[in-house]
Amino acid sequence: MSETAFVHREGVTRGGSWRLVLERELVDLWLGGKALVLLTLFSILLGITAYLMATNNELRLLPIKEIAYLMLKLVVAFGLFMSLIIGADSISGERERGTLEGLLLTPTSRRQIMLGKFFAALSAWPPAFLVASPLIAVLCRDSQVVSWSLLWGGILGTVLVLGVTGLAMLVSFWSGSNRTSIAVSLIIYLVFLLPTQFPGQAQTGAFGDLLQKWNPLEASNVFLAKVIVNNRTVGEMSSWLVAPILFAILMLSVLFLYASPGLGLEPGRARGRASWGRIAGLLAVAWVVATMLVGAYPTAAASSDSPVQVVVDREWVTARTGDRVEFTTLVKNTSSAATPPLIVAMNIINLQGEVVDPEDWSPQRTQSMDPLVPGASVEHTWIIDAILKGDYLVYMVVIPQPAGQESTSSPVASSGIHLTVTPFTRINPRGVLPLAVGIPLSLTATTFLLRWRRRRAITVGEREG
Amino acid sequence: MNSEDTAATGRTSDAGVQAPILEAEHLKKAYNGRPALRDLSFSLAPGRILGFLGPNGAGKTTAIRILTTILEPDAGRFTIAGIDSRCPEQIRARIGVLPESQGYPKEMTGVGYLTYFARHYGWSAKDAQRLSWALLEVVGLQHRARSLIGSYSRGMRQRLGIARALVNDPAVVFLDEPTLGLDPRGQQELLALIRRLAREHGAAVILCSHLLSEIESVCDDVVILSQGQVVAKGSVLDVIGRARGSGVRVQVPLSAMADAEQVLEALPFVVRVVPKGQGSGWLLVEVLGGSAESNIAHNAVLEALILAKIPILTFEAEGSRLQEVFLQLTEETIR
Repeated sequence: MSETAFVHREGVTRGGSWRLVLERELVDLWLGGKALVLLTLFSILLGITAYLMATNNELRLLPIKEIAYLMLKLVVAFGLFMSLIIGADSISGERERGTLEGLLLTPTSRRQIMLGKFFAALSAWPPAFLVASPLIAVLCRDSQVVSWSLLWGGILGTVLVLGVTGLAMLVSFWSGSNRTSIAVSLIIYLVFLLPTQFPGQAQTGAFGDLLQKWNPLEASNVFLAKVIVNNRTVGEMSSWLVAPILFAILMLSVLFLYASPGLGLEPGRARGRASWGRIAGLLAVAWVVATMLVGAYPTAAASSDSPVQVVVDREWVTARTGDRVEFTTLVKNTSSAATPPLIVAMNIINLQGEVVDPEDWSPQRTQSMDPLVPGASVEHTWIIDAILKGDYLVYMVVIPQPAGQESTSSPVASSGIHLTVTPFTRINPRGVLPLAVGIPLSLTATTFLLRWRRRRAITVGEREG
Repeated sequence: MNSEDTAATGRTSDAGVQAPILEAEHLKKAYNGRPALRDLSFSLAPGRILGFLGPNGAGKTTAIRILTTILEPDAGRFTIAGIDSRCPEQIRARIGVLPESQGYPKEMTGVGYLTYFARHYGWSAKDAQRLSWALLEVVGLQHRARSLIGSYSRGMRQRLGIARALVNDPAVVFLDEPTLGLDPRGQQELLALIRRLAREHGAAVILCSHLLSEIESVCDDVVILSQGQVVAKGSVLDVIGRARGSGVRVQVPLSAMADAEQVLEALPFVVRVVPKGQGSGWLLVEVLGGSAESNIAHNAVLEALILAKIPILTFEAEGSRLQEVFLQLTEETIR
C-alpha cells in the first residue's frame, strides 16, 4: 500500500467549500448536462422573436420601449424556468441518483453544500441575460431606452431568480422524489402566474391591485411595464418592488437559516404518485411555454367600419408588404341640386374574411368636403400602407350630412380597388439578423467544442493510462 | 461503558489494549414511532475490524448512518477519535465511508471523482490529484483513472468507492457490503486491503456484510443486531463459542454410514446418532455433558471412527460457524 496515499488531513478550513460544490455542479450542468443545450434553444427562440419584432418595428407597429419590455419578459421567463428546474432537481435529484450521501459524508457543512448548489442553480440567468442584451440593444437602438431597460430588467430578473431558485430548492429539500419536486415547483410557479389569467375586472379595483402587488412575478411585470414602456418614475412605482424583494428575502432565509442545517438523505415530507406527478409536470410545462409565447408576442387588435360611394382612379393594385399605395377619388355632384356638406371615408376589407384594422393601413381615413354645386367635383388623394400580405378590397363612401336630428342620408359607395399584397421580407431588418443567427450558432459551436474537448481529454487520458 | 461492551477486548490482538477509537452508548432511533434501533452500545479499538451483522431491517444501516453523522440519534451518544457526536463535521473529517447504495456521477472520471472529494478535506487541487492517483493504485484502478465512471463495471465502482473512503486517511472506516459485485479474486484482494488498512495503518474498520464467511475470515469482533437490538457482541471466537452446542457433525462415505452409526451408538456418552441430509453421508452425533465434557466426547468420537478404520470426510463441532450462530440468535429474537 502506498504510503503517500495515507496522509491525514485535519483542521481544514471549510469556509470556501461551497466553491467546490459550485464548481462540480457547474461542470455537471454546463458540460455534462443539458443547460448549454437549453440555452442554445432559448437563443434560437429569442433570435426568431427578435427578428419578428424587428420586422414589426420596420412597419412601426411596435414602439421600441415595448419591444425592450417584451424581450425582457421573455428572458426573465426563461431565467426563472431554468432556475426553477435546476433548483427543483438539486437535492431530490441527487438523493435519487445516490450521489448526495457521498457529499453529506464530507466535512463540508450542509449550509456550504446548499450554498454551492444554490449558486449553480442561478447560473442560467446571467448567460440568458447576456444572450438577450445585444438583441435588445440592436432592436431598440436608443441607448437611453436600452440602458434603462437592461438595468431594471437585470435587477428585477435577478431578484426574482433568487426567490424562485430558493423556492424550488426548498421544494426539492422537502420532496420524496425528484418528479414530485419538479411538478410541485412548476405548479407553485404557475399559481404565481394565475392572476394574469383572470378576467379583466378581477385584475382591477382594490382586490385586483392587491393581488397583483403581492404577487412577486406580477408585481415585477407591472413595474417593468410602467417604468420602461409608460415613462413612470421608479419612485412612483417603488411600492411594486416590495413583493419581489420580500419574496426573495423570505425564500433565502428559510432555505439557509431553517432548511440547510437539516439537509439529509430523508426528505421533509411529500410522496406524490408518480403518474399524477408526471401529468402535473407536463401540464405545468405546457402552461409555462404557452404563457411565455403568449406573453412575448404582441396581439392584434380588431375593428370594424362602414362603406361609402365615390369614383376611384384604379381598379386593382398589386403591392408588397411595406409598400405605400396612392390613389385618388373624384366626388362629383351629378344632381341638379347642391349637396349638403359631405364626408368621404375610406374602408378596406380582407376578402378572405380576416379582420382588418383600417387605422393601421392609412394615416388618414376620412376627409370632409364643403357642399358641392351641381356638376362640381372634388379630387382627393389617399394613401394606403400595405402592412400585411393578403387579398383586400379598398372602397370609398361618400356620406351626405343629414339635414337635422330627425333625418338621415344615404351613403354612396364607390367601386372597389382590388389590392393584392404579397409578402416582402427584408433579410436583415435593423441589422438584427447577424445577432439572431450568430448567437445561437456560437452557442451551438461552443457546446460541441466543449464536449469534443472533454471527450478528447478522456480518450487521451485513457490511452496514456 | 463496561468491559463487556468493548468488542475489542474479547480477544488478544496485536493492537493490545488500547483506548477505543469509537465508543457508542445507548443509541436509539425510531421512524414515525417505530423503533429501528433500540439500544446500541459498543466500542472499537484502533486496528480492529468489527463485523456488523443482522438480517434485513435489523437496524444496521440506521446504526451506520448514525455513526457516520448522516442521521441524528433520538437518544444516546458516541465519540470517534475522542470527538463527540455533537460535532458532526469534525467527525466526518476523521471517518471514511463506503455506503451501501452509493451513486456515482457517470460523467466524471475516476481521478476527477477522487480529486473532488479529496479537496473537500482541504487538499490543494495538485495534492488532491496526486493522492487520487496513489489511491487508485491501491485499489487497482490506475489504468482506468481517466475513464468516465459511467464506463466502470460494478466491481470497479465499488473499488472506487473504497478509494474515496480513504482520501482522508480515516481513523474509522465504515464499509457497507464492500465486496458486493466483486469477483472472487476481487473479493480476496479487497479483504486483504481491509486487513492491511487495519493492521498497518491502525484504522478501525466496521464491516457490514451478508457474507458471514467473509466476516468470519476477516473480522476480529462482531456485533449481531436483530430487530434493532444487539443480540451478541464480542470477539468472533467468543460469540461462536457462546452459542456452541454439544453435538458433532461427521461426514463419512455413504458405504460406511451404517458401520459408523453402529460404532458411534456403542459409545457410552453418545445420546443418539441421526443421519442428516439424504444420501450425503452426514451424521449428527449428540453427546452428553457441558462444554468441557463435550470436548472430550468429540475426541472420543473421532478416535472411535479412526480405530474402526472408517474414512472421515468432514468433522466439525455443532455451532462452530458464525452462520449457525447468526441464524440461531436472530431466529430466537424474531420468535
